[in-house]
Amino acid sequence: MLTYIARRLLTLIPMVIVISFLIYLGLELTPGDAVSHMIPPDAYGSMDEDRLQELRESLGLGKPFLVRYWIWISGVLQGDFGYSLAGGVPISKIFLDRLPATLELSIAALLISTVLGSILGTISALTRGSLTDQSLTVVGMLGVSIPEFFFGLVAILIFALNLEWLPVGGRTLPGYDSFWDRLPHLVMPAMVLSIMMTAGVMRYARSSMLDALSRDFIRTARSKGMPEWRVNILHGFRVALTPVIVLIGFRLPVLIGGSVIIEQVFQWPGIGKEFVSAVRSQDYPLVMMVALFSVLAVLVASLIVDLLTAIIDPRVRLGD
Amino acid sequence: MTDATVTRPRTRRDAQFDRIRDREAKLAGTTQRKGRFLSKFLNNRLAVIGFAIFAVICLMSLFAPLIAQHDPMSPNLRAIAKPPSAEHWFGTDKTGRDIFARVLYGGRVSILVGLGSALLSALIGVIIGVYSGYVGGWLDWIAMRISEIFMSFPQIILVLLLVAILGQSLVNLIVIFTLTGWGGIYRMARARMLSIREEEYVQALRSFGLGPARIAYKHMLPNALGPIMVNITLSTAAFILQEAGLSFLGLGVPLSIPTWGNILNAAQDLRVLEQNWWIWLPVGATISLFVLSVNFIGDGLRDATDPSQQG
Repeated sequence: MLTYIARRLLTLIPMVIVISFLIYLGLELTPGDAVSHMIPPDAYGSMDEDRLQELRESLGLGKPFLVRYWIWISGVLQGDFGYSLAGGVPISKIFLDRLPATLELSIAALLISTVLGSILGTISALTRGSLTDQSLTVVGMLGVSIPEFFFGLVAILIFALNLEWLPVGGRTLPGYDSFWDRLPHLVMPAMVLSIMMTAGVMRYARSSMLDALSRDFIRTARSKGMPEWRVNILHGFRVALTPVIVLIGFRLPVLIGGSVIIEQVFQWPGIGKEFVSAVRSQDYPLVMMVALFSVLAVLVASLIVDLLTAIIDPRVRLGD
Repeated sequence: MTDATVTRPRTRRDAQFDRIRDREAKLAGTTQRKGRFLSKFLNNRLAVIGFAIFAVICLMSLFAPLIAQHDPMSPNLRAIAKPPSAEHWFGTDKTGRDIFARVLYGGRVSILVGLGSALLSALIGVIIGVYSGYVGGWLDWIAMRISEIFMSFPQIILVLLLVAILGQSLVNLIVIFTLTGWGGIYRMARARMLSIREEEYVQALRSFGLGPARIAYKHMLPNALGPIMVNITLSTAAFILQEAGLSFLGLGVPLSIPTWGNILNAAQDLRVLEQNWWIWLPVGATISLFVLSVNFIGDGLRDATDPSQQG
């Protein structure tokens, strides 16, 4: 097990280095430099060249590309993420402010979709071919076909504007910051964000459950006279769960992606919303850091998934 | 009766007869296989419905200039945000543009982006995946590492990062989708090649002295076409959803070009959402219906081509 973890970690590190380099290189290729983004265009035109050059020097832009990359990445490793071009706020502060909101939303959506998806998928598999199964399949298909933000808009229209049950957007009202005050704000974004993933998990859980139910050990369990529900839950469901966990790990990127748009729809003050406005205003330092951290999140998530599956299913770690 | 045929010495005519029978059996086999694919696809009710919807929306977008009576771009200040009427079937938006025309013309761009990016990324993925999957070696190693790099980004973050780098335009969007999409199809084509690499017919071809490119593209690729087709349809659906999402954020196709996502962009305004349902509901329904139909087609193709995916 230890060698397995070590091997996985060793493949991870060069990957992160290459990706961070590519991100830095990519944004280096964009037109303009930090100075031209910091100064408003009308002031930029009237400033004399010496002053601009001085500014560039003070920002370290005169140094060769590789040196600048080294300064940037070693800063990142020491926890210095640089400053956002919009207002000069330290990026680490933006992360600290925004990350809890995004995590809250993603974890809520992950929980909803995992529970709902595996239950619905199992029901679908156990009633295979029935009307329930068929309608669940069609509903799942609808879930992956309707754009998430469209779901979001319709939900806002129905539950916030017409019924006035839930707030239109945002995360808190000033002065009301306890979890229970925030909960009504969380309900709609989390539900909408989980729809697409619920459909995916359901589909996967169904085929995984069907696969598990056709195995020999299920027949053995039945022939021992075990009650049907015990066969299904204890033996079928447990075996069917492994691939579902794998899927959830792989779905994490989808979730992060979905949250970028959903945060915009519901004005949820998270990293995704910040990222979109950074792309809009060409705030490259912030764009770089968010991209780098999302990659790290995906790689770490896939590492955890691999370790979890190795724990659940010994064939994985002994396999190769 | 059978004894008599066995004991009788075989003549040249017998051999000829056998040959004819073999040829006929082979022919019968191939027609049966093609027929089975088609009949299985046609038997899948949802797939047929999906194909019909897909065809109708595609044709209506294609012949938009013949169907739509209004120009999708020209504002009409005397008909601002009017509900649906005989004159404007889907009503007009806040600058008085006919929404029905915009949905049709928008379909052209959205379908172009979705289908075009899916086909391009399939082309790249298949060309690299089929060859490197069969040959292996350093080429395979490099291609695999590159696809790993692309796939360790959450898709939308990578897309937005590339939008920030390349800038916003229709062509750039197709390039970006292709860049982010080829990895999946490459991996699938490669895995498929790995699984049929050791089959007997491939070994036979190798022993005949055929070059690797010829074996890979001409003889092995047709056996991997089923999953590739399924993948193309499913990524078309995914790209259309992504285009809509990006344009909704205002970071996809420039707002001056009508696309399904750009039309929906207007619904970010809560007043429009509450009072002018015709501005966002028809186009939202069109996107959903189109993506649903493509997904049904993809499912039908999968069931028809892959015998292990039944039920």
